[in-house]
Amino acid sequence: MFHWLEKRPFFFAVAVFVVIAFAGLIEILPNFAQASQPVVGTKPYSTLELAGRHVYIKNSCNACHSQLIRPFKSETDRYGHYSLSGEYAYDRPFLWGSKRTGPDLMRVGNYRTTDWHENHMKDPAAVVPGSIMPAYGWMFKNTADIDTAYAEQLTVQKVFAVPYNKEIPLADGSKATVALADSLEGAHASALEEAKVIAADMKDQDVKDAVAAGTIPEIVALIAYLNSLK
Amino acid sequence: MDIATFQAYGYFFFTAFLVVVLYSYVYHLYSAQKKGTRDYEKYGNIALHDEITDQPIEEISKNDEIKK
Amino acid sequence: MENRPLEYDYTVAKMFMLTTVLLGIVGMLVGVILAWELAFPAVNTIAGQGVAEYTNFSRLRPLHTDAVIFGFTVSGVFATWYYVGQRVLKVSMAESKFLMALGKLHFALYLLVVVAVVGSLLLGITTSKEYAEFEWPIDIAIVVVWVIWGLQIFGLIGIRREKSLYISVWYYIATFLGIAMLYLFNNMEIPTYFASGGIGAWYHSVSMYSGTNDALVQWWYGHNAVAFGFTVPIVAMIYYFLPKESGQAVYSYKLSLLAFWGLMFVYLWAGGHHLLFSTVPDWMQTMGSVFSVVLILPSWGSAINMLLTMKGEWQQVAASPLIKFMILASTFYMFSTLEGPIQAIKSVNALAHFTDWIVGHVHDGVLGWVAFMIMASLFHMAPRVFKREIYSKSLMNTQFWIQTLGVVLYFTSMWIAGITQGMMWRAHDEFGNLAYSFIDTVTVLHPYYTIRAVGGTLYLVGMFLFAYNMYKTMTSGRRVEESELQNASPMGA
Repeated sequence: MFHWLEKRPFFFAVAVFVVIAFAGLIEILPNFAQASQPVVGTKPYSTLELAGRHVYIKNSCNACHSQLIRPFKSETDRYGHYSLSGEYAYDRPFLWGSKRTGPDLMRVGNYRTTDWHENHMKDPAAVVPGSIMPAYGWMFKNTADIDTAYAEQLTVQKVFAVPYNKEIPLADGSKATVALADSLEGAHASALEEAKVIAADMKDQDVKDAVAAGTIPEIVALIAYLNSLK
Repeated sequence: MDIATFQAYGYFFFTAFLVVVLYSYVYHLYSAQKKGTRDYEKYGNIALHDEITDQPIEEISKNDEIKK
Repeated sequence: MENRPLEYDYTVAKMFMLTTVLLGIVGMLVGVILAWELAFPAVNTIAGQGVAEYTNFSRLRPLHTDAVIFGFTVSGVFATWYYVGQRVLKVSMAESKFLMALGKLHFALYLLVVVAVVGSLLLGITTSKEYAEFEWPIDIAIVVVWVIWGLQIFGLIGIRREKSLYISVWYYIATFLGIAMLYLFNNMEIPTYFASGGIGAWYHSVSMYSGTNDALVQWWYGHNAVAFGFTVPIVAMIYYFLPKESGQAVYSYKLSLLAFWGLMFVYLWAGGHHLLFSTVPDWMQTMGSVFSVVLILPSWGSAINMLLTMKGEWQQVAASPLIKFMILASTFYMFSTLEGPIQAIKSVNALAHFTDWIVGHVHDGVLGWVAFMIMASLFHMAPRVFKREIYSKSLMNTQFWIQTLGVVLYFTSMWIAGITQGMMWRAHDEFGNLAYSFIDTVTVLHPYYTIRAVGGTLYLVGMFLFAYNMYKTMTSGRRVEESELQNASPMGA
């Protein structure tokens, strides 16, 4: 029987495939439905936040920063409550990272401000002496891609039934709604509203001018995203 | 039966099955060699005598078994 | 054809040998730049503020990993397949016009993908999933390249003269199937441009999986891409090249067959160890740990088999730098397949995860095992492919020692860096408060980052020696007769 298999490339390949596919089937598939349930209080991203998430991905922030707090005292002391599966329900892709060259950012919105991020992204070593993080000056000049963020929102709403424009229960018992515009113009307008709130807390005159003129620099979107991480 | 139980049974039986297959393969390899029904070690020479003019260790046309 | 004796045709093998060397240099050069950037952040803007966006650590990092994995290693796998495949199946590619044309198409498409990948990663077009950063148009092209390779494998097998498939062919088949399955499932994504009716960037996509599920699939892929890209095809190489170069048949062919099935069965389970203490179910994490430890057995089965193949022939190791490369490679294989499982033990993982120890582990595997074995394979192929002697044996020896020193500096510094940082993160003072702020655990690593950068630079120097030696072999090595190519490769002084 074994020798028979060794002589037949086709059946041999089938046997190899069965053996290697087995672990994946058992490990991954059955867990799917359960792990994707959001926990109470988890909200989908707004247009501006999602555009900021794209800036985060574009610059591979996840190469150095994790978004996963493990259940150890030293980690919960440093970063806050350990991560729960459902908190990631709207993260496509996940951004856990695999290396902490810099600190975890899972709940950075709880302890850093717009002002802090602005100074830090301009010159990290001036805010944190000894930091080896490079400066991200171009984020103050490049324009955030609101179109793509809106396209992604429409896609996840349609395909994965992400609850935009629906009431979401919060931890304190109240409800919140994340609005999704019904047109691209509407999406731009609502993103700009959010951007104005952030730009008001910023010092960079070019950024303020750009937002006043109706364009949103990448840094504003990124800060909106970082502030939403709680 | 919920999915987790199913998963556990599936895992257990398939693993047990594969372990049995693997061990019977060990038995097959060494008993075939001992009884002389098949010399596995000669296949090691496929790498050594690999010029296109060399005689294949086992010619494909000699045997009527088709390659499929 | 009638008046010329049939010969193996290495046209496609030569093409992929070229990309192996070139992309190896590119990937490692980027790696060295990254290492210096971590040691001295000013290197981030070394080319000026204007292009800082493209020389920045975070933008270059995926380029480094992908150039080494999909550029250097995969090229090496293809190059050796187009060489070994013909020989152990005893059939020449010249015998099939179809396979020959397909092989050239394979290379052309591969080059196209390389260009697209380099361009898109520099522009920051990425899905962010490690070793699967490419957006959907490139994913489709990669699938096509892979399918063509599959057609090559099974096409050549279909017209073979040797009835039994040599163990190396088993491993190549497993590489093909494993990567195909993993890549397809991990890259399931929806192009947002089409789903939203034509809004936004056309190349952008969103993952089919969310959060924890995405992480599960990604690390099932991530770990096994290492298995089927960095282990399985490299084992295929050593099972052919070491016996051939030394003139000794594999010590135990039966053991090689057993180790094959053992590896196939166990490896896929081990992926869970990347997600210890995360939010994936407990039993799966434990499973990942246990199987990672069991994985030592089949890995060591292959490695010990290789060392025993040299039984009674150890003078060859001293005499031939080529065999030195291969023996050191299999030693590093044993070493990193022991180190990996140790890191997968839960209590060790709690310390090691997210630190530089993991980076060290990856690099002693890739620099010590994968790259050494690929370079040894190319050294062995060169005289047969170009019909010339290897240009310089002393240059090979120099390269060997420089690179070995580089690897040792690399992994020792990363061990110390990783364990130091892991210990500092968890240290509490007498009142139960954290003893160090995060930045303390960064500045302390500066000396180790510098040593690592030096080690990486040494390895890169060795790569340049390798490229030079290959180039001279191709252009000005002494011409050799068929009779000199039986086993040990001919080498010039």
